[in-house]
Amino acid sequence: MALRVPVNLRKNLSVVLYAFQGLSFLAVIVGLASLLLLPLDEYSRRTYISENALLPGQVHAYFGGSEQNIVRAFRREVDLLGNSTSDVVAERMAEIFRSAGLKVGKQRYSYKAAGGEYTGENVYAVLHAPRGDATEAIVLCAPWRNIDHLLNEGGVALTLALSRYFKRWSLWSKDIIFLISSDARAGPQAWVDAYHDLHGKNIQSLSVKSGAIQGVVVVDYPGAYHRFESLHIIYDGINGQLPNLDLINTAVQISRDQMGLRTDLQEMWNHDDGYRHRLRTMLRGMVNQALGHSTGPHSSFIPYHIDAITLATHGDGGWHDEGSLGRTVESVFRSLNNLLEHFHQSFFFYLLMAPKRFVSIGTYLPAAMLLAVGLTLTAIRLWVDPRSRSGEEKKEEEKSEKVKEGGVVAVDGGPKRELFLPMSIVIGVHFCGVIPFAVFNSVDYKSMSSVFYIFIAASVILPTLISILITLTASPHRLLPAFHLSRCFSLLFLGMFLSTLATLNFSLSFLIGLFSLPLTFARTTPDSVPLALVNSILLQLTSPFAALFVVAGYWGLGVEDILKEASFGWWVWGMWTPVVVWCVWWPAWVVGRVSVDSSIVMAVMGKRGS
Amino acid sequence: MDRKCLLAIGAGALIRLVLFTAFPSLPTILAQRVEISTPVTSYKRLQEGIYLYTHGVSPYDGGVFHQAPLLLSLFSILPPSTIITNLLYILADIFSAVSLIQIASSGVPTVTPHHVSPRKANSWPPWAIAAAFLFNPFTIATCIARPTIVFTNTIILHSIAAAVNGRRGPAFVSMAMATYLSLYPALLLPPLLFLAYDSLKTTSKPSIQAFSAVTTIMLSIVLMVYFKLSHLITGSWEFVASTYGVHLLLPDLTPNVGLWWYFFIEMFDSFRAFFLCLFQLHLLIYVPPVCLRLRKQPLFALITLIGISSIFKSYPAIGDTGLYLSLLMLYNHMFSLMRYTFFLAAAILYATFLGPAFYYLWVYAGSGNANFFYAITLVWSISNALIVADAIYAALRDEHETERPELIGKDVVQI
Repeated sequence: MALRVPVNLRKNLSVVLYAFQGLSFLAVIVGLASLLLLPLDEYSRRTYISENALLPGQVHAYFGGSEQNIVRAFRREVDLLGNSTSDVVAERMAEIFRSAGLKVGKQRYSYKAAGGEYTGENVYAVLHAPRGDATEAIVLCAPWRNIDHLLNEGGVALTLALSRYFKRWSLWSKDIIFLISSDARAGPQAWVDAYHDLHGKNIQSLSVKSGAIQGVVVVDYPGAYHRFESLHIIYDGINGQLPNLDLINTAVQISRDQMGLRTDLQEMWNHDDGYRHRLRTMLRGMVNQALGHSTGPHSSFIPYHIDAITLATHGDGGWHDEGSLGRTVESVFRSLNNLLEHFHQSFFFYLLMAPKRFVSIGTYLPAAMLLAVGLTLTAIRLWVDPRSRSGEEKKEEEKSEKVKEGGVVAVDGGPKRELFLPMSIVIGVHFCGVIPFAVFNSVDYKSMSSVFYIFIAASVILPTLISILITLTASPHRLLPAFHLSRCFSLLFLGMFLSTLATLNFSLSFLIGLFSLPLTFARTTPDSVPLALVNSILLQLTSPFAALFVVAGYWGLGVEDILKEASFGWWVWGMWTPVVVWCVWWPAWVVGRVSVDSSIVMAVMGKRGS
Repeated sequence: MDRKCLLAIGAGALIRLVLFTAFPSLPTILAQRVEISTPVTSYKRLQEGIYLYTHGVSPYDGGVFHQAPLLLSLFSILPPSTIITNLLYILADIFSAVSLIQIASSGVPTVTPHHVSPRKANSWPPWAIAAAFLFNPFTIATCIARPTIVFTNTIILHSIAAAVNGRRGPAFVSMAMATYLSLYPALLLPPLLFLAYDSLKTTSKPSIQAFSAVTTIMLSIVLMVYFKLSHLITGSWEFVASTYGVHLLLPDLTPNVGLWWYFFIEMFDSFRAFFLCLFQLHLLIYVPPVCLRLRKQPLFALITLIGISSIFKSYPAIGDTGLYLSLLMLYNHMFSLMRYTFFLAAAILYATFLGPAFYYLWVYAGSGNANFFYAITLVWSISNALIVADAIYAALRDEHETERPELIGKDVVQI
């Protein structure tokens, strides 16, 4: 008894092709729509403390009263040192720490990136835990100048005061390290690299160390005026890694419920917890994650699997002062002190949309995966498509099979796919991606913008050149299948890279997937030049350069500043975003342009293929 | 060997040399990858063993070193220079490529005494097969990471090349060496017997029983000699337990691309012995049916068994898969009969990229766990198993169409 498939799919390919086209389209639509659904109450969850040991806000915080006068005194001290060189500052800070009875270390560092040199001196002090064995530590950090290059008067003063204050308590079971980094971007990186003995040769080793760092809190409290409205919690790490959600929840719960301090995320100052504000918070978080840059001194710690956040003050009209901030930090430290083991309970992959609302990876990952799946399905469709086979006898496939039946020649009836040319196009272009990556990481800041415009011009011309070259050299009946298959392989690679990337940096994968959507339908159309022109323009609008301009516009910076940031990120932070853009996205885009441009080239040269 | 073969070999050697010299830290990085180095092949552990051996301590004390003693003596004779070691590994790959060229030129993949493939005109030239081996990313990564599996692979390929050319002496001496180095090549003995028997050039062939008895006895004697030599080198028999014992009993549960480690981590101790026997028997059980069903194409049976053991053996690595895929290229002429080539290639690619990403999330970032990596090794193993199955389908279909030419192009229907 034979079970026959009613429709032979191998013979009726158009059914399969339409199904795949529909499926890949559906995947993209569902992927996009599911992201927009996330802020709704049904899809997001309220945050909760997962690690019971933390007990946030369960202790009374005593910082205040006369301590506040000490903070103000240190504030004056910091103010006087305002414009001094970093070694003078470090020496004075070291003196203050020493007078509090702490072990002090200093560290000079120097980085070179984008033709500039970034030097400074970190100073830090270790408070050995009266009840600990120096195997674990928590860090209180204040950059001398914050990420906006403002003098962090309040933050440094508070750290100095807290170092004296914490010293008096006997309840610490973990060492506390007070770190005054020279700036907010390079300094913490140099310090944390040296702490783990992974520093370069222009960075000094640390003279004093403690145990494994369990958590980091950075205080960013700039300006001479000491009142503030709300607390801004910054949590994005390098390469889009995030600290454990429990740490953020602890900080939010303590500042809101214990101290009555409003908390903000992602610079959303007037969050009404409605759909639009949630969506905007989430999207701003995704942009930061996708760029993978440092958003504060805490970012450098996160790649070392150290959970870190920055508490930045916002506004100057409120009624909170250094007392409430000090009590918040104290209470967070008491919670961190309670930790029995490294943060592990709560989520590491999440999107926050309000201080108390989040979605976890299981809910949001399908969005990015569906985009990647859309690309992969398109690749499969292109492979199954008979146009991927080269040869003259395409139409008489079935006839010839019957005629030559039994013969030795016709055993595998039908034309074959020529893989060599499309494979070498795709692999060659991917190797070319190393060139812009290397160039932009070695060029000076001054010549950055001119190099960039030269590069734009080059990569606008490059695909056309490649398609002219191939059209001239390859035989006509192989031409269309070659472009067809090169698109297929390129989309397969892109789909694969993006789904891998989605597990490491969801937002970057999602944004690249979004920009790559035209690649799924921009195909070789030698019969319709206007369509090819439209596709070409569309690809140009969604190119990596266009994205760079968009990012530059979003931050209100020049393109050269973004490129400088990328180069700095690569050399100092080990930021992978430029690698992904130049070695994954750009090649896929070039191959897409090649297959679109080839239709114009073929039409002009009169080679229509088979 | 023609000019193209030499060119392919030259280019293959050059790319390895460039990778070794231009990126001096690359070998160390790759040698730490669990996908490439296993406890029984790792170069780092080999160095540890050599250090202990040259300092007069038994290398098998301490449970770190699990490799054969003759490797120890080989590496302790070599001057301790990285360049010479690297050259040795490049040389091993070149020998492998030469053996592949010999196998391809012999025509055995398409024409055996019992079967002539109707597609023999489509088979790849020898240089292309050598290139497919030399430029396979899995082979290159394995060569750069310098696990000792490189030598096992070279010796297996040499043995096959000798067998297809009718030189049964070298064939079985090499197979004994491969078995001595990593145990599982012992599974390849039956198909190798058939292969060598089919390739005998003498006019009066002995009966297959007599042939297999003689060669098996010869192989055992050679194996004994290797064991005695090892005994002389190390001065005791403890190497048996810490080399073959490790292959068989799986005491080291370091993750790898195989299916064993996770299973035996989760296992309750009382079931361990039972499942160890089961897993080992599972490997053994494929040998008779594959050899019998593919009797007409013994080389294909051998390749299939290499593929199966690269999935199911206790400490597999991507080097094993690289060997299988390179050997499969010899049967390129029947790839058109395979049904899922594109999907399986895509699945292998996906697993290749997602594996390291998930391992990173588990071990370095701490945001994933062991299940992430294990899920990917499952995908990897499933896609490899499907490749093996699909290749067997193609080979059987090829045989079938020779017997019944009127069925060419007809669909296969499940009954």
